[in-house]
Amino acid sequence: MNKFYIFLKYFFIIIWTVFVVAPFLWALTTSFKDFQSVNAGVTYIPWIDFEPNLEGWKVLIKSPAKGGVDIVEPYFNSLFVTCTASLISIILGTLSAYALSRYTFKAGFVKNNDITFFFISQRIMPPIVLSIPFFLFLSAINLLDSLVGLIVVYIVLLMPIAVWIMVDFFNKVPREIDETALIDGCNPYQAFLKVVLPNSIPGLIVAGMFCIIFGWIDFFFAFILTFTEVQLLPVKIVALNSSVTPWWSLSASALVSVAPLIIVAFIVERYLSKGNLSGAIK
Amino acid sequence: MAKIDLSNISHSYNQNDPNPVYALNPFSMTWENGNRYAILGPSGCGKTTMLNIVSGLVRPSAGRILFDDKNVTDLITEDRNIAQVFQFPVIYNTMTVYENLAFPLKCRNFSKNKTDERVNSVAETLNLKSFLNSPARKLTADQKQLISLGRGLVREDVAAVLMDEPLTVIDPDLKFRLRRNLKEINEQYKTTLVYVTHDQNEAMTFADNIIVMSEGEVVQTGSPKELFERPNTTFVGYFIGSPAMNLFESEASSNNSVKINNILIKTQTNLSNLKTKNIKLGIRSEFIKIAQNQNENLVDVNVEKVEDLGNYKLITAKMGNFTIKSKVNRETEIPNQKLKLHIPAEKCCIYEDNKLI
Repeated sequence: MNKFYIFLKYFFIIIWTVFVVAPFLWALTTSFKDFQSVNAGVTYIPWIDFEPNLEGWKVLIKSPAKGGVDIVEPYFNSLFVTCTASLISIILGTLSAYALSRYTFKAGFVKNNDITFFFISQRIMPPIVLSIPFFLFLSAINLLDSLVGLIVVYIVLLMPIAVWIMVDFFNKVPREIDETALIDGCNPYQAFLKVVLPNSIPGLIVAGMFCIIFGWIDFFFAFILTFTEVQLLPVKIVALNSSVTPWWSLSASALVSVAPLIIVAFIVERYLSKGNLSGAIK
Repeated sequence: MAKIDLSNISHSYNQNDPNPVYALNPFSMTWENGNRYAILGPSGCGKTTMLNIVSGLVRPSAGRILFDDKNVTDLITEDRNIAQVFQFPVIYNTMTVYENLAFPLKCRNFSKNKTDERVNSVAETLNLKSFLNSPARKLTADQKQLISLGRGLVREDVAAVLMDEPLTVIDPDLKFRLRRNLKEINEQYKTTLVYVTHDQNEAMTFADNIIVMSEGEVVQTGSPKELFERPNTTFVGYFIGSPAMNLFESEASSNNSVKINNILIKTQTNLSNLKTKNIKLGIRSEFIKIAQNQNENLVDVNVEKVEDLGNYKLITAKMGNFTIKSKVNRETEIPNQKLKLHIPAEKCCIYEDNKLI
């Protein structure tokens, strides 16, 4: 029975791994192929099945004038927009989450939980509902097709995530910690900065990770709110697809775009495995 | 250090409701400088609310708090200079033990030398010296609670140290030692200590003044002896002492005697001004002994069970439909069935409407 269980466990883990890894493997091999090799069917082993070349990768950093696609600028645009928007969302989100967790708000029938839900409800709405208002809003303040405009929109999209995660996190941080800090002689700001915040680093990391992921992978708003001046990576990658699909550079750019998330995942995973996340407050 | 006056304090957590529920009914009380107080009562009786009002975490709905005759009711916690220890260990996880203990001093800009000296002295008292440089989160639960306690004791100039059941998570052996340490600290530094607990033994051994609370009401304040021998209400009699006070429904039969099941019991209470017939006679089982050669205040009982509790024997017996408990020496031979017990008149307490007269 026990052996059967182990067998079953590994069986499903292997199936799952294949399911997850196969597309990456496909993209990785495809990125080194040329037109003929791609058309010759799905093959995986270089030098035996196909002759690898670096054309798909080189094209990514060549300027369009030399026949390249140059994803460097969109790449840094994406990095800049995602990081800035995530940072601001985390700062604002953490502050509002702390307020929502520790103080009582009441405006008519609207109370703390309703405000928290209001933030989450922003994410429940299908994004398409927001596209026209955002478009009109950005065009009214002249920020269409600009990095700043995208940052503003991403803050609106990412802050609910930060608030949601941090409210939950602060609710688990015992109120006595704040109270003790007050008794020990801090003012409420010091209590937050010196005591509550250092205790909340695991929560901040989780919230930050979610913000970065959601910001980085967003295609929809980046597509609608930019035209020619500014391009983000996901839009650029999709734009590669012309009459003849360049599978090799498409694959290469897809891999490059996933890379930062893999790095983030590794860092956070290390942090998680240290047990710092669960055992922060007891 | 300060004298703390609570004057007409009351508190409700839903003041703005049309029918507010009071967690704390109006009361006044003075805590003298340098004494040890215990606030004793069952869970949910308002003990913690009272502490939080003193420390400023809760602003009372009504009444004033004075520290050394200075009104601090509107002062925020950080300006009150008070220390509070909570039931469960509250430590700053990201700091070392030393930083934890030094935090209250750092917040108040004490000099480095002074901080060092105080932290070391407190760590000495609480056996934390060898851990000073380890991260606080690595310690066990009771060591963490010692840190909380240490943070409360590290400042010498506090108005009072408030402790909210601080020893709940600490094992019995250490608990006993710590209680003694706290007493020593109190005697040495003359710090006012206020100790909240629901454990009467803890209150009795720790404090020289006990405040008994029930359902938001301060029922009685007094020394352990007073609370034990002359409980103000039947609640106190019931709550303090183990076993609880014997209480019998009775009726007055003359100026100083009552009848229980038609047996006349003499007391030393003047019963001439009774307003109701609802009176009870209360007596501690410690004072009820097997009759020797007395000729009054005797009751015949049927022994139901005798428990040997190590240092004494507890007799549970029936007197008509009343149950009576008596504590006797463990050497005492107890006859099987029928027994004559003696109820000493000077130890009888008479309660009218559950209040002592």
